Amino acid sequence: MVLVLALGDLHIPHRAPDLPPKFKSMLVPGKIQHIICTGNLCIKEVHDYLKSLCPDMHVTRGEYDEDSRYLETKTLTIGQFKLGICHGHQVIPWGDLDSLAMLQRQLDVDILVTGHTHQFKAYKHEGGVVINPGSATGAYSSITYDVNPSFVLMDIDGLRVVVYVYELIDGEVKVDKIDFKKTATTNSAH
Amino acid sequence: MSPAPIEPTLPGSLSSESSSLSGEKGQFANLRGVRWRINLGILPSSSSIDDIRRVTADSRRRYAGLRRRLLVEPHVPKDGSNSPDLVMDNPLSQNPDSMWGRFFRNAELEKMVDQDLSRLYPEHGSYFQTPGCQGMLRRILLLWCLRHPEYGYRQGMHELLAPLLFVLHVDVEHLSQVRKLYEDHFTDRFDDLSFHESDLTYNFDLKKFPDSLEDEIGCHGNAMKVGSLGELDPEIQTIVLLSDAYGAEGELGIVLSEKFMEHDAYCMFDALMSGARGAVAMADFFSPSPTGGSHTGLPPVIEASSALYHLLSIVDSSLHSHLVELGVEPQYFALRWLRVLFGREFSLEDLLIIWDEIFASDNSKLNKGVEDDTDSSFAIFNSPRGAFISAMAVSMILNLRSSLLATENATTCLQRLLNFPESINLKKLIEKAKSLRTIALEANSSNPYPSFRGAHERSKLSAVRGHSLSFDCNSPTTPLSLVPESYWEEKWRVLHKEEELKRGSSQKQVPTRKKGWSEKVRLHLSRTGSDPSHMKAEKGKKDPKSTVRRSLLEDLCRQLGSEEDIGEIVCNEVLDQKDPLHVEVEVEEQDANLNSFTCPADDSHLIGNTGSEENSSIFSASTSPLTNDHENDSEKSSIVSNSSLDENDDEPNNAEAFRSIPEDPPLPVSDPPEDISPKPETNNDSTGKQEAGLKERKHLSGKFQWFWKFGRNAAGEETSEKEGASEAAKSANRESNQGDTSGSSTSDEFSNSSVNSKGDAADQNMMSTLKNLGQSMLENIQVIESVFQQDRGQGGSLENFSKNVLVGKGQVTAMAALKELRKISNLLSEM
Repeated sequence: MVLVLALGDLHIPHRAPDLPPKFKSMLVPGKIQHIICTGNLCIKEVHDYLKSLCPDMHVTRGEYDEDSRYLETKTLTIGQFKLGICHGHQVIPWGDLDSLAMLQRQLDVDILVTGHTHQFKAYKHEGGVVINPGSATGAYSSITYDVNPSFVLMDIDGLRVVVYVYELIDGEVKVDKIDFKKTATTNSAH
Repeated sequence: MSPAPIEPTLPGSLSSESSSLSGEKGQFANLRGVRWRINLGILPSSSSIDDIRRVTADSRRRYAGLRRRLLVEPHVPKDGSNSPDLVMDNPLSQNPDSMWGRFFRNAELEKMVDQDLSRLYPEHGSYFQTPGCQGMLRRILLLWCLRHPEYGYRQGMHELLAPLLFVLHVDVEHLSQVRKLYEDHFTDRFDDLSFHESDLTYNFDLKKFPDSLEDEIGCHGNAMKVGSLGELDPEIQTIVLLSDAYGAEGELGIVLSEKFMEHDAYCMFDALMSGARGAVAMADFFSPSPTGGSHTGLPPVIEASSALYHLLSIVDSSLHSHLVELGVEPQYFALRWLRVLFGREFSLEDLLIIWDEIFASDNSKLNKGVEDDTDSSFAIFNSPRGAFISAMAVSMILNLRSSLLATENATTCLQRLLNFPESINLKKLIEKAKSLRTIALEANSSNPYPSFRGAHERSKLSAVRGHSLSFDCNSPTTPLSLVPESYWEEKWRVLHKEEELKRGSSQKQVPTRKKGWSEKVRLHLSRTGSDPSHMKAEKGKKDPKSTVRRSLLEDLCRQLGSEEDIGEIVCNEVLDQKDPLHVEVEVEEQDANLNSFTCPADDSHLIGNTGSEENSSIFSASTSPLTNDHENDSEKSSIVSNSSLDENDDEPNNAEAFRSIPEDPPLPVSDPPEDISPKPETNNDSTGKQEAGLKERKHLSGKFQWFWKFGRNAAGEETSEKEGASEAAKSANRESNQGDTSGSSTSDEFSNSSVNSKGDAADQNMMSTLKNLGQSMLENIQVIESVFQQDRGQGGSLENFSKNVLVGKGQVTAMAALKELRKISNLLSEM
């Protein structure tokens, strides 16, 4: 029952002033155990705000982030799952599943979380999961039309992860749920 | 396993236990878990094993159902709902009804529970700190709290639950021991048979099996070869029947079962908390708001603490007054005692014995004739169990009596109360509690006393109980600051006016200090009234309570004074007439505590107002604390305000002095005549008269009456010298300046004068002597108080203090006064 929040590409203050109020009202401290941030926050205030929701926060560097100390990629283990984080602008073509899969194999993770495209995507691929939480503020993107604010909440429980997707469509929060189960022994061949 | 060592001990112990206990406690003597379950009302007390098993099974089923329902697993779709409304049911949903919302709330509750559980019984950690046990406790508590959301989880509930679980565990262990010994009866022979596939003949198996079985048994060497169930000890028999896997309800019905310990513990806990429709429900002690049936509008635990003090006041009023004076509110320590039923005060083994007793008491509500409209009774007294609980608490307080009386401030008192000593004679404690229980039950059914409003603020529950005084004055012993204020103020003013009139000339000797007290005392009161009232002189008591008390006393004095010509018998009547008057004597003391002015706290009170007139000095010892307002008026008769002075002045010296007084053994109640007799001057014939009258009242009130009579007589016939003396005393006090030194001189004078005035009617003499005695005591007290007041007065705690110098002298005089007081108390105790 570990709740992991995955979001990114907020582009505050350059492209968006703040998170949508409906999202903000849902994000209360105390419920979430980890936060994974794909990048492009961009300023320290956003970092602090997210830190207030949960002290355990992992951020990777997006191209517009003002804090240059973030890493390019990060891996962590939560429960039985290995998670990998990367902003995604380094993986070309942007948003391409195969390339992302390459990154996943490189990092040797079960769940890869990337961003940059500002579009929510969740793929099941080769025994692992590739998730793109989209842009939490719905910031403008040069490669995506009609960006809807979205983020992802993962509920990791043993060998099973339930992915809740929260999207703000037409001013309403829509929630969707995807179940992934990890097969017990999945070791990358090496 | 090594049965050999077990064998000699177990059967022996079992049989001895059963024989010793079964006589007292009937069946299930050494199966505490079962016994408690019966006592708590979970299991029927009928003796049929089958019934017990069935009820057990039912309760376990209920618990299992509850557990399934309430322990939430959010992502397990319970009803197979395929498309839950995700907008509502997602983890971040703010919707309180969502599954996740419940999950998070449970998680918070669980965190609270875990905090407490991790600290539970560390000294028995080998059992309580194991994850299995902790898990069980956690689940039980969670489920109970979810089931009773109005209470939530409060610290202390885990301590109520832990011994219950422990007791069940002990039973199960006992069962396993018995099982070892009496294997034959527990295991069905056929269950363990391993049928060899290859053997075709049935007979062959049978032959083989018993051989092997006997081999095993033989090699253990100790098997109890018992033939049938009937040959067993009844205890063992019961155990076997209770644990038979094939009995009623099968495995679910095995009464002593490890698998279902959690279920059983939950049932016991639930029954304990809800009181099983009885009068005492532990859950009430955890609720912050007054329960429906409460008359007082107080939270039940506060009410119960007051009940405790009430009982204590009946039983041992000096200790009670001492505690009250120090300001030790009962709920400071009683909260912990009551909420965990003494779990923190005793070790686990002792606690189990105590709980045996508590649970053995019936919890059904006592049917009282007077219905709920009387606001007298304490809810906790409504059942024998409740009465026993409070009696137990009181007996614990009494156990610490000497150390409590020796302390001078509230903190130390509380420390002593909260660190109950380890090595105690538990049996004695319980015996005492049992005896007190009857008192408690009586107390509940006697006069209601109305002073609950706001009572908990000053838990002075020293109600004037019927037996203590003949008067039916329901003077609320707890002068509550709020409500009674106006009423008593008024009374005071009325009283005061009368007294003014009566008073006439006030002489101004400074009666107070009685130097020659010792002689006086020895001589038994040759003194004529030094007016105790002057004590109050200086210190105005801001305390409305004291006001009340004072006014009560004053009223009393007044009335007494006004009835001078009545004979002794009248005394009684007088007493009766004092309806509104509160016998300050807070008399619960049925002893001469009266005499022992005790009122350590009185110091402050005493200083309070000046001059109670001496007529009223009735109870010599009582100093009616007058409030500041009244102080000027002073002429108030100082009423003996024993005990229950609300003042919490910490005046150690005084306290000590007074404390010594209460330590005197309580004087026999209705012995006024005897008291009087020793007095040399008193004319015995007059005494006889008085005695006759006095003897009628066999209560403490006898003492009071005695004093009152004196007061009355004194008032009546006391010549002006007395008056003068008292007046003087009063004035002296009032000014509080000369207080000390002059006081002493005046007291001397008074004694002389009082001696002189002896010549009057015999009984008057006696009365007067007693009165003088009392007055001198009062004076002493006042003196001391004034001294201390002055010392502290700079702190400006009281308004009208006369901040007079006397500090240096004050000390000396105070000490002298204390000594005199001691003497007085000795004297009185002799009486």
